[in-house]
Amino acid sequence: MDMMVSTLQQQRSVTEQLRREAAIKRIPVSSAVADIVKFINEHEQEDCLLVGFSSQKVNPFREKSSCTVL
Amino acid sequence: MAADTAVAATPEDTLESLQREVEALKQKLDEERQKLNDVRKILKGHTAKVLCFDWSSDKRHIVTSTQDGKVTVWDAYAGTKESTFSMPSTWVMACAYAPSGGMVAAGGLDNKVTVFALPAGEEERAARKRTVATHTSYMSSCLFPNTDRQLLTGSGDGTCALWDVESGQLLQSFQAHAADVLALDLAPSDTGDTFVSGACDRAALVWDMRTGRAVQAFDAHDSDVNSVKFHPSGDSLATGSDDSACRLFDLRADREVARYAKESVLFAVTSVDWSVSGRLLFAGYGDYTLCGWDALRGQRAFVLCGAEHRVSRVQRSPDGTALAASSWDTLVRIYA
Repeated sequence: MDMMVSTLQQQRSVTEQLRREAAIKRIPVSSAVADIVKFINEHEQEDCLLVGFSSQKVNPFREKSSCTVL
Repeated sequence: MAADTAVAATPEDTLESLQREVEALKQKLDEERQKLNDVRKILKGHTAKVLCFDWSSDKRHIVTSTQDGKVTVWDAYAGTKESTFSMPSTWVMACAYAPSGGMVAAGGLDNKVTVFALPAGEEERAARKRTVATHTSYMSSCLFPNTDRQLLTGSGDGTCALWDVESGQLLQSFQAHAADVLALDLAPSDTGDTFVSGACDRAALVWDMRTGRAVQAFDAHDSDVNSVKFHPSGDSLATGSDDSACRLFDLRADREVARYAKESVLFAVTSVDWSVSGRLLFAGYGDYTLCGWDALRGQRAFVLCGAEHRVSRVQRSPDGTALAASSWDTLVRIYA
């Protein structure tokens, strides 16, 4: 009897989960992808790993110059 | 006979001169490789496989965890160690830097997460260490959800859990995966109440942290999902899997929108991360390579072959100026 109750509960939670997933509002891939492209285009200029540094001085990981001011 | 004449023709070839040439050639090879890889810094000093690392929000420090049970904090600009902690067990599979930079968390085969306060003073070290989370199986992934007060963990027991750092209490358990959870990532939104998990049941689940319920499931992969990472826009996420493919899933379209794979790429994807704009997807592989995928074209943009063993994790620095990759060859390489 206990077994049946627990299986019933389990099944109920699975069904509820699927109901929730089925109820999600979906948008077409075309507009979703358009948004991704838009985001990337807007931020591309700030992406140092994509466009590089405007000058090596901006790069915090550049090799430090061997000359030092005394 | 040909060999004989060759030897005879170059009598000046002595053992020493040949050895010298070997050394010179080796050095030249190294230099050429360096040029190709654009490695800016190498964090060198571990004696075992580096399993995980995390950038600090100050863009300068990195915490690493290794297979021999060490957790180390590094200054990435200088490439030097700042402090080292010893863990009670080997295989420290996950580590994380707190948003404030004042704490690091680590754990693995000990099924726990231990939090260490920074900077580490010698005498009070024991007092500055606290166990926060306890799972019934190994802890595979951990992160601080935009606050120092809470800790999110994923475990081999198939659950994810949210813990209170101060008291060590379980705040919320997330149960829906059918197998070991391997990876976690927090949504980049300001509220930060959504996260994604990847697991051995081949699925990536999106969770609502407040209700503890799975909101969405993506199960297109053919094998374990080793890594998950939200796109910087927050509307989509990338996964890396044992089936050697990375996939891009869109949350609002609720489906896969891109797949990053090649016939020549056969090994598992161990870790993925995005560039700041989300144009490049970085992926570390079991075949020692690190690939950059053009997210829009779906083509491979570059391959970095610097590592001499499996790449365990890739992560971009918080400001996007550098990419770090840890490997089982004991090193962490920083590309910038």
